Amino acid sequence: MRTIILGVGNPILGDDGVGLKVARELKRRVKNPDVDIDEAATGGINLMDQIIGYDKAILIDTITNKDVLPGEIRRLSIDDFSSFHSFNPHDISLPEACKLARQLGETRVPRDITVFGISLERMPCEFGEELSDEISKTVPKTVDMIMSELDEDKKDLVEDDD
Amino acid sequence: MKTVTIDPITRLEGHGKISIFLNDHGDVENAYLQIPELRGFERFCQGRRAEDMPQITSRICGVCPVAHHFAATKALDDAFHVKPPSAASKLRELMYCGYFIYDHILHFYFLGGPDFVVGPDAPAGERNILGVIQKAGLDVGKEVIKHRAYGQKITAILGGKATHPVCGLPGGVSKGLAKDEVQEIKDMTKSCVDFAKFSLKLFDDVVLKNKNYVGMIKSDPYNLETYNMGLVDAHNKVNFYDGLIRVTDQKAEEFLKFPGKDYTKHVSEHVEPWSYMKFPYLKKIGWHGLKDGKDSGVYRVGPLGRLNAAEGMATPLADKEYKRLYETLGGRPVNSTLAYHWARLIELLYATERATELVNDPDITSKNIRNPVGEPGEGVGVVEAARGTLIHHYKLDKNGLVEKANLIVATTNNAGAITMSVRDAAKGMIKKGEVNSGILNKVEMAFRAYDPCFACATHALPGGMPLEVNIYDKNKKICKTIKNV
Repeated sequence: MRTIILGVGNPILGDDGVGLKVARELKRRVKNPDVDIDEAATGGINLMDQIIGYDKAILIDTITNKDVLPGEIRRLSIDDFSSFHSFNPHDISLPEACKLARQLGETRVPRDITVFGISLERMPCEFGEELSDEISKTVPKTVDMIMSELDEDKKDLVEDDD
Repeated sequence: MKTVTIDPITRLEGHGKISIFLNDHGDVENAYLQIPELRGFERFCQGRRAEDMPQITSRICGVCPVAHHFAATKALDDAFHVKPPSAASKLRELMYCGYFIYDHILHFYFLGGPDFVVGPDAPAGERNILGVIQKAGLDVGKEVIKHRAYGQKITAILGGKATHPVCGLPGGVSKGLAKDEVQEIKDMTKSCVDFAKFSLKLFDDVVLKNKNYVGMIKSDPYNLETYNMGLVDAHNKVNFYDGLIRVTDQKAEEFLKFPGKDYTKHVSEHVEPWSYMKFPYLKKIGWHGLKDGKDSGVYRVGPLGRLNAAEGMATPLADKEYKRLYETLGGRPVNSTLAYHWARLIELLYATERATELVNDPDITSKNIRNPVGEPGEGVGVVEAARGTLIHHYKLDKNGLVEKANLIVATTNNAGAITMSVRDAAKGMIKKGEVNSGILNKVEMAFRAYDPCFACATHALPGGMPLEVNIYDKNKKICKTIKNV
């Protein structure tokens, strides 16, 4: 099974860049030729271009939701999002992009798109390259969660082979 | 009074908020569009190495990284007193055409087009690219995807990376073009020209042959008689990458023409208490509030602004289409906000033709792509982003570190006009306190035509911008809230 892990975020917008830091840490730790790790400072249709051709995509991104405490990490499926939004009105959403691709006969959209959402109190609106203390703490936790997920995937695969 | 509130699941703070104030008669008195603003960019840039600016600024916005990249690179050319070799300028412009190709295709087919192709009153769930494909056919969908990807690919070949280019350097570019890459780009641009022609034909069939749409385009709520601004070449033809800033008046006469570095002499920014957004205006006229006409310094940029501010397109097919637009809609200038969509497709055709010219230029494979830089100083770089004139201005210290940075982005240039268009669209939909249920989309259509991008870097799992409309009664109390989620 080929997996792509993408840290999604903006490197110059404070806590919004947390997904990128998680991806960088994973890149240091994951030694599996079937797993590619990259960063994406984009969304929607460009994001889809980056995950196409893989069996599974793991996205690490920030979320804001009044029911999730800041600093919490949620493992979500792409289907859990009833709406995907950003400040950016010049794009379509990732679920829409995937649906579009499938409708046009694209068979290489990953079957499994999992999102690790790190909850922020609000979207940062101040430029900066550093994470806040609170959000910094989520980096090792998220890394561990994804490492175990990769281990599970590997186990599943072995069982499937039996 | 009834309040309707539906919360979006995520990115609550990303709301665009429209506040509509009603008067004693229940008619619209005023409407304001508020958008989240990013702060502290100037401070963020201070003390950074000048040559990092093209990379840093391309991160401001997930939508137009290429435009920021080259506005920054051109500001550095100016600040280091260096002129790039001709091949470098051509490589930059070719890449820039790739950016226009993918950006304009995305807007027409994914964002603006659905209102026309699927229909402005169709349910929101159908007014999207999937609805367009359902109507126009799967094959059209495949062509859309293919050519948008070609635009991206051209940009990636020249820029080193698809979304955030790394090629621009003061005095030139870091990467030339190999012979096999030239052939690849030639094949793609050839196909793109045909696709642009097809898109204009589609616009003809779907929009111009529909009397209702033409009526809507010409209707009052979607008309603004502002000044128009855009870059032009030596023959006053539209240019995206370089030239002089030209401003034309309500009769399409030249009002101003100046090099980018003089922008502070001609443009000033007004601050409104209710918005973080600044409202640029022409100094010579002054700020007289959110109104149009020759006595108001408000101007428009972007596809229609550019076409109005110029006297034609520099390539043959696009120029023909340019003439047809003005013949059809009653001569220059055209003031209909919805004509932005048509202008955008004419620019798409121009971008494909211009890219074809550039890639066939023997100079394009030259190895002479960078000139040595001089002493650091102050510089201004101006380009046309897909959505309008973009200005970068840096002051460097003697070590080449950034002392001051100022940016005026395209959507800021359009801030006054967008606010007025939103207000006028709202006026048409609210009469005597009765709110027409189609208000949200009609208001969205008004600002979507400008293809606004709120100079914001947030990427992430995007969709349409969450929008909230609050309607206030004469006592300034909220009487209705509508959201598009």
